[in-house]
Amino acid sequence: MKEIEVTLTVNKRVHTVNVAPRMTLVDCLRDILRLTGTHVGCEHGVCGACSVMFDGEPVRSCLMFAVQAEGHEITTVEGLVGEDGEISDLQDSFWECHAMQCGYCTPGMLISSHALLMENPSPDDHDIREAISGNLCRCTGYQQIVEAVKMAAERRQEGL
Amino acid sequence: MKAATFDYVRPASVDEVCRLLADAGEMERKIIAGGQTLVPLMAMRMSRPDMLIDINDVNGLSEIEDKGDHLVIGGCTRQRALERSEIISKRLPLLAKAIRKVGHIQTRNRGTIGGSIVHGDPTAEISMAALALEASVLLRSVSEEKEVPLDGFFEAAMVTNIEPDQILTEVRIPVWEGASIGTGFYETASRESDYAIVSAMAQIELAADGTIVKAAVSAGGVAPCPLKLRGVELALKGSKPAELSSALDGLDEEIDPDTDVHATAGYRSRVARRLITRAIEDAVSEAKNERD
Amino acid sequence: MKYQKIGQPVRRREDARLLKGQGRFSDDWSVDGQTYMAVVRSTYAHAFILGIDVEVARSMPGVLTILTGDDARLDNLAPIPHSPLPSTKHDMKLEGPNGSEVFIGDHTLLPTDKVRYVGEAIAIVVAETLAQAEDAAEVVSVNYDPLPAVTDTAKAAENGAPTIWDEVPDNICVETFFGDKERTDAAFAAAQDVVEMDIVIDRVTGVPMEPRAALGDYNLDTGRYTIYAGSGGSVRQKREIAEVLGVEGDTVRVVSKDVGGNFGTRNRLYVEFPLVGWASRKIGRPVKWTCDRGESFLSDYQGRDLVTRVSLALDDAGQFLAMRADNLSNVGSRMVSLSPLSKGSGLITGSYDIPVAYLRSRAVFSNTAPTNAYRSSGRPEVTFAIERLVETAAAELGYDPIELRRKNLVSSEQMPYPNAVGMTYDSGEYAKSMDMCMDLADWRGFETRKKEAESRGMLLGRGFANYVESSIGTPREQAEIHVRADGHIDLVIGTQPSGQGHETSFAQVAAEWLGVPVNTISVIVGDTDLVKVGGGSHSGRSMRMAGTVIVKAADELIEKSKKLAAVVLEAAETDLEFHDGKFQVVGTDREISLYALAEVVGRRSDLPEKLSVIEDNVMETPVFPNGCHICEIEIDPVSGAYKIARYTTVDDVGRAINPLIVDGQTHGGIVQGAGEALGELCAMDPESGQPLAGSFMDYHMPRADEYPSFKTELNEVPSPTNPLGVKAGGEGGTTPALAVLVNGFVDALRPFGVRDIQMPVTPRKVWELIKAGS
Repeated sequence: MKEIEVTLTVNKRVHTVNVAPRMTLVDCLRDILRLTGTHVGCEHGVCGACSVMFDGEPVRSCLMFAVQAEGHEITTVEGLVGEDGEISDLQDSFWECHAMQCGYCTPGMLISSHALLMENPSPDDHDIREAISGNLCRCTGYQQIVEAVKMAAERRQEGL
Repeated sequence: MKAATFDYVRPASVDEVCRLLADAGEMERKIIAGGQTLVPLMAMRMSRPDMLIDINDVNGLSEIEDKGDHLVIGGCTRQRALERSEIISKRLPLLAKAIRKVGHIQTRNRGTIGGSIVHGDPTAEISMAALALEASVLLRSVSEEKEVPLDGFFEAAMVTNIEPDQILTEVRIPVWEGASIGTGFYETASRESDYAIVSAMAQIELAADGTIVKAAVSAGGVAPCPLKLRGVELALKGSKPAELSSALDGLDEEIDPDTDVHATAGYRSRVARRLITRAIEDAVSEAKNERD
Repeated sequence: MKYQKIGQPVRRREDARLLKGQGRFSDDWSVDGQTYMAVVRSTYAHAFILGIDVEVARSMPGVLTILTGDDARLDNLAPIPHSPLPSTKHDMKLEGPNGSEVFIGDHTLLPTDKVRYVGEAIAIVVAETLAQAEDAAEVVSVNYDPLPAVTDTAKAAENGAPTIWDEVPDNICVETFFGDKERTDAAFAAAQDVVEMDIVIDRVTGVPMEPRAALGDYNLDTGRYTIYAGSGGSVRQKREIAEVLGVEGDTVRVVSKDVGGNFGTRNRLYVEFPLVGWASRKIGRPVKWTCDRGESFLSDYQGRDLVTRVSLALDDAGQFLAMRADNLSNVGSRMVSLSPLSKGSGLITGSYDIPVAYLRSRAVFSNTAPTNAYRSSGRPEVTFAIERLVETAAAELGYDPIELRRKNLVSSEQMPYPNAVGMTYDSGEYAKSMDMCMDLADWRGFETRKKEAESRGMLLGRGFANYVESSIGTPREQAEIHVRADGHIDLVIGTQPSGQGHETSFAQVAAEWLGVPVNTISVIVGDTDLVKVGGGSHSGRSMRMAGTVIVKAADELIEKSKKLAAVVLEAAETDLEFHDGKFQVVGTDREISLYALAEVVGRRSDLPEKLSVIEDNVMETPVFPNGCHICEIEIDPVSGAYKIARYTTVDDVGRAINPLIVDGQTHGGIVQGAGEALGELCAMDPESGQPLAGSFMDYHMPRADEYPSFKTELNEVPSPTNPLGVKAGGEGGTTPALAVLVNGFVDALRPFGVRDIQMPVTPRKVWELIKAGS
């Protein structure tokens, strides 16, 4: 199948790639751009491991084809890190609260939590659990993730 | 799995989409909007279109317009846009209530109103709300454009009355203007964010004396496709909320639940009765509050 | 002893990379020129393979090779040398019927005779891209002659069931008796009351979020295979892959860095790992395979699947007199591990002092995916059985379930306590943990909460369970400590974390002993060129085995360094004191740090030794983590929908090295157990043997919005069996969760005449029970 040239912006960098139409966005990120932080957990849109920000909104990158990203902006977990290489406050809360074990779902969890905090700066437990209900985690039982998101929100509120 | 191979086009106009669909011949050409239902099917190779027609760049398919007695919603409007729309929350409170239960935030960010409706899931919240409110859809092909009421559009589970050469361009949903309107929505799933096993929705308008003047009621999971409960609506109209229980007398004749891996027919019909009652009760009490 | 670093909630070192998306999971490895493998899998549960036609597939775009079982046979690939029989000193030993040797059967990589379950690998396709490999795999045409199939555990053991292996016509591959039949029979005959239950613990699967993957790279020049593949322990994988490929051990290097969850599923070797190595040699290019989720539902080794009949004899005061159990474990079509049956066999009497017991343990083949140890292998099953049995006994004989438990609990004074089937519990305060947990759960406030729920039309049920589980595992572990002049210490160890935080907790132990900061210690795992010996991570062994050998190695390092420090400081060894990572001449300011010493030793030719030690440790004695869990479940009788309102735990993990990590293990363990109790099921069509759960759309994975936050506390009773007092913290969350939740549902539904509910407890099941009992 003929490949199609696609220009997309990932973590503020513009990339031009050639992809077969059937290549998913997540495969393009991982296999062509070698951004392996975004993970594939199911390829059928349920587990959320492949979550990325697409034009500022969280989406599942296994449910999009790379050709559909033409002209769009994507932020992956690698892009949550500041330009100075410093992790974000949300990532720091995840660290402090032990919000990950194997770490496989973590990039997707960070993306979903990041999106939540942009929209709702003071979420309660229910809001957080709802926001991450589309991300499966097999290790943590979710509790320390909820605590981490809450900690990040509280610290932002306090201006820390 | 990776999807089977296909051609990809991204037309800029509805005309172009229609032409591509009309020219399909023996090939299977499919429209992709949000892709939240289609792409998983393709990833399991249960759907293998020869061509995907991406309508995300088609202009004018994602607007929400208030036309007075109804809203016009572009077929490619994201579910998340509906969720955030002030017009929707003011003018279509039932849809506003239902939308948050559709999938997850990540899928609502891509999934569209048109995609949800043409797909025909028996418990899809958007379809149920639109059906209850007597919405219609605008279908276009090269040869014609026609408005089709949703009542009758859903044929069977995952089957709707859209032809392979048609594109859904608009959803038209009537707006209720009354002063005291309330809505109710219940669904039961294995858990909150799952596909519903049974669901029920109601929108009620009360007169000043508390009489029900208008009622829209629909249920999901009680028939092969979303169902508008005309008999229940008729029984409600002109009655007082106190007479609620008798409004459901004819329910069993209206529904046609099936037994599947998720639930038995008996479970569906018994639970539906309770959920419909709760939805109506909620709608009535909300309408009362509106009035007071 | 007062520790400074052990017991602290130290932030995990591994998180620094995981948070940034810089982990290195199996599919993250890529090497130049790599190709992709797809696996052709059986679509029948049981069928002869008459032929495989690959001609059309071979001509597909991008296809490089297609290999079948005939090719593997020509290349003399050996079957996987699983060692399914638990064999360490304290394992319950299993035998075949009538004392015969257990028939294991070959786990051929690609069978040529017949397929024995849906999803069994029968051919591989290698192509330039994965999509092309999958395109070609679809058109490989297999000619089957279907046979009758059996998937159900009890049915597979019935007369006339289809035979999976000709060598075992009745499918029963294990039959072993434990305990004292005569005394048990006598106790039952004399008992005032006997309570009996039939219990089915159905098939589930581990579902690590990272699907399995392997990248094989055969080097033509050196003749070496490198396999990048996450697992439960690279050393074992290397040994077995080499054996399958018919090469010397060191011809194979296995590299495993970050592993996205294991839960037992990755402990044993899978056919795909040697297959990528073999395929790479055949085509002269690297070959990568990544399992998709549908494939993992078919082909991952699965878990649980035990049918048991249990009975309990009581005297007229509620004292337990004896217990009987008849356990039947489904090993699937190929025998990979008998760990669940063996582990469970040793713990049938649970936390209770039951003087005599008699147990029959059997295993049966069936046309299903092989089973393996799955989180807390064997223990949740028997905990479920005993705790359901005790609860039922209380309800039916009119005892208060708490008082009945208290009366029969193994007491602290009885420790170490030998149970009726031969296990010796090392230590524990079972009664105290019960008290603590009931306090924490506000046991007394339940009636008020129940009334409040009832006022809203809801039912509120309360579940309770004690548990004791065993941590045994491979007894040998090795640690290497290398002090580097640059101020770092390398700690090489043969366990394999998959989220348990070894890089941190092991560093805490070493840092404690060596008196250096935790972040100066680098824990090295997973690459068999660096790690030569190691038992991997399973059975809750890692912290205990590693902690012990690290302490031993650190003591040895200090001993050895002291001699060198004495030379460098020109002082007598007896005048040297070791503290804070340095040697000091007592009463002076003359001192040298370990790092400085390493630098000096590296430089001076008169001190040829390096500041390195390698220590081995063998520790056979098992430990017995234990505890108590309590839950409350609110049920909507209208729809059967429910939510877990409260869940409270007190666990004795022995000494907790890092409480943050232990808490996480507990939370995750609870949800993994709850998943099985509430929704997870590898449903299969009983006629065709087709799996019905092949994706996340039909396998109910626990999600965040289904659970409340849990209250968890520890009752740390250090184990006397090892220097750190460690027991284990990874399985305690899961072990009682099934029993606690089902006890809670039964409690709520008892007014409707409900005695038992088979898992998974779905809203529909709850609703039907309410309807039937109304």
